[in-house]
Amino acid sequence: MLRNTDARWGAIAQAFHWGIAVLIVVQGAIGLSMVELGTTPTKVKVFALHKSIGLTVLALVLLRLAWRLGQRTPREPPGPRWQRVAARISHVLLYLLLLALPLSGWLFNSAANFPLSWFGLVRVPSLTHGYEPALKALAHGAHEFLFWLLAVLVAVHAAAALWHHFRQRDDVLRRMLPGAKEVR
Amino acid sequence: MKTIMAAVVALTALLAAAPVHAWTSDPARSTLSFTATYQGESFQGRFRRFEAKTLDYDPAHLDAARFDVVVDIASIDTANSERDQALPGKDFFDTARFPQAHFVSTRFRKGADGRVLADGTLTLRGVGKPVTLGVTFDPARKTLDVATTLHRLDFGIGGGDWADTSMIGDEVAVHGHLALRP
Repeated sequence: MLRNTDARWGAIAQAFHWGIAVLIVVQGAIGLSMVELGTTPTKVKVFALHKSIGLTVLALVLLRLAWRLGQRTPREPPGPRWQRVAARISHVLLYLLLLALPLSGWLFNSAANFPLSWFGLVRVPSLTHGYEPALKALAHGAHEFLFWLLAVLVAVHAAAALWHHFRQRDDVLRRMLPGAKEVR
Repeated sequence: MKTIMAAVVALTALLAAAPVHAWTSDPARSTLSFTATYQGESFQGRFRRFEAKTLDYDPAHLDAARFDVVVDIASIDTANSERDQALPGKDFFDTARFPQAHFVSTRFRKGADGRVLADGTLTLRGVGKPVTLGVTFDPARKTLDVATTLHRLDFGIGGGDWADTSMIGDEVAVHGHLALRP
């Protein structure tokens, strides 16, 4: 089932979800370790990879958002109102962070006056007029802060999914898992 | 021996009397810039501190012309703080050992297209190589523009793993713009 139904997420939504999740983890790992590298051509290439993956995440999140807004979504699981509000807020925040994080990275790169290319294939334009040190410092700080915020939110998101699955014994997690049987 | 000495003195006196204009350049209005490629994209840089110690030039008397320019390599500025921190390092310009670059002209001549060319030696990162500058003199504006293309690997700039020219291009276009005094 490609599209979402009232009962569960479709394959496309699931692919976006888990695909982007994996990319975020990979990006975090690369990002945290690459800044420790000594200045060598390898470091340049690792940074270039991080930036290319980041731009990919940005594009995928935009596509995913477009897909999500044009589709029906599975019905909200039964529960108190605070739960529905918390879920909605955290999901909106996740989308916002997933857009702000790569954008801040792009801004950082631009303000640092480095070139940008998507996997060496497509030249990506700068968001600034060359070197802008104040903006660079701001974007750098934002990029790091937003990452940690995302990490916390992802932890909350994952914990909530597990809580739904093991404590509430509902199908919230199951609906996002590929191959799981539909629950009435 | 004495006749040789006398001949040398006479010749020197003759050359010294040659009518060439000894210019100086105004550092505030002069620039020494370059264009290089990094990760496939070109970028500009400049050396903020350089001194034209000798700028003897008169297009009518090229045989008496002479350029002697010293560049403070640590004054490099490519509008990128990470890059500007790495360039004076050992892998690149190694300014700790070679703080200056030095160009001394040996001969001025006219090229096939009538343009003035200044042959000379450029000593960069301790390596001396023959280099030819294209010279454009504007007596009305009182400016002297020199241009050439250098190969960074000739001088060992960006050696070891940095010798990869797909990351940093080998060719670097250099342009000096001198605002002349008096």
